[in-house]
Amino acid sequence: MSVQPTDASPVGQIALVDLLDRLLGTGVVLAGDVVISLAGVDLVQVRLHALITTIRADMVEPR
Amino acid sequence: MAERARYLYAITRNVDPSPLGSTPALSGGRLDVVEHRGLTAVVSDVDLREFGQEGLRENLERLEWLEKVARGHDTVVQAVASLGPTAPLRLATICLDDEGVRRRLDEWHDALHVVLDRVEGRMEWSVKAFADPVQAGVDTSGVPEPAQGGGAAYLQRKKSEQTAREHREADAARVAGEIHDALAASSSASRRLPAQDPQLTGHTGTMTLNGAYLVDLDEVAEFEATFHRLQKEHPDAALALQGPWPPYSFAVLEQ
Repeated sequence: MSVQPTDASPVGQIALVDLLDRLLGTGVVLAGDVVISLAGVDLVQVRLHALITTIRADMVEPR
Repeated sequence: MAERARYLYAITRNVDPSPLGSTPALSGGRLDVVEHRGLTAVVSDVDLREFGQEGLRENLERLEWLEKVARGHDTVVQAVASLGPTAPLRLATICLDDEGVRRRLDEWHDALHVVLDRVEGRMEWSVKAFADPVQAGVDTSGVPEPAQGGGAAYLQRKKSEQTAREHREADAARVAGEIHDALAASSSASRRLPAQDPQLTGHTGTMTLNGAYLVDLDEVAEFEATFHRLQKEHPDAALALQGPWPPYSFAVLEQ
């Protein structure tokens, strides 16, 4: 039996990890007046993923 | 008094922005539009203490804050996408004032129109494939245990396990490539995003495909039919289809 993602969401609702992949990794990048460097954003993404992982680890039941 | 700045959500064109009046902006304010040379930027006021360089550096580390802003950003982008062609901006694009917004629209005028041409009448779908974790278990039942399980036999068994695993991974990667090619042929544009960590997906299998597909709204039925055919052909790939989403992965400015 296959295991479904724990965050099975209604149609149109984007899982946070998918949303962050897109909002930090893709999309139109215009340098605004407040500049977060690309390297900074990448770092944020790495830290975030670590953070979400921690939260997930608590949520996902051990198998 | 708090210093204000303009948060940019998305760029669109030729739309009546009045329906956006019912969409909540970040920081509880209302959405505004800045129009310039045929482009419309959807913006709202934010506090520079929260969205300035210093504030962002701290806030981006807080998952709770990030989720709130990402969801708020997405809510606005979805609302804009229901009105017309939409180029979503990266999270936390901040200009100090409307003049700053207009300067960006001016500078990127041609590239933004190219992006809007690309996404007009189209939305994004996501298809993911996973290597089934059940198959990751090594079937050694066919391998006879030597009467004397010495070190050489152990190494031999380890080696054949390793070879079997490499074959399975190569197979899974090949199947993912085939699935992607078939979906790409049924869409207007496609991208493969980096695979997500199993702990992030909540799925026990290894993600072999994290595909994004830009699909013409007239061709959604065909795309979905392709997906369902692939799902039947590859029951082990645990294919998952999501969408429609705003064209986040396809609003990339050509330099």
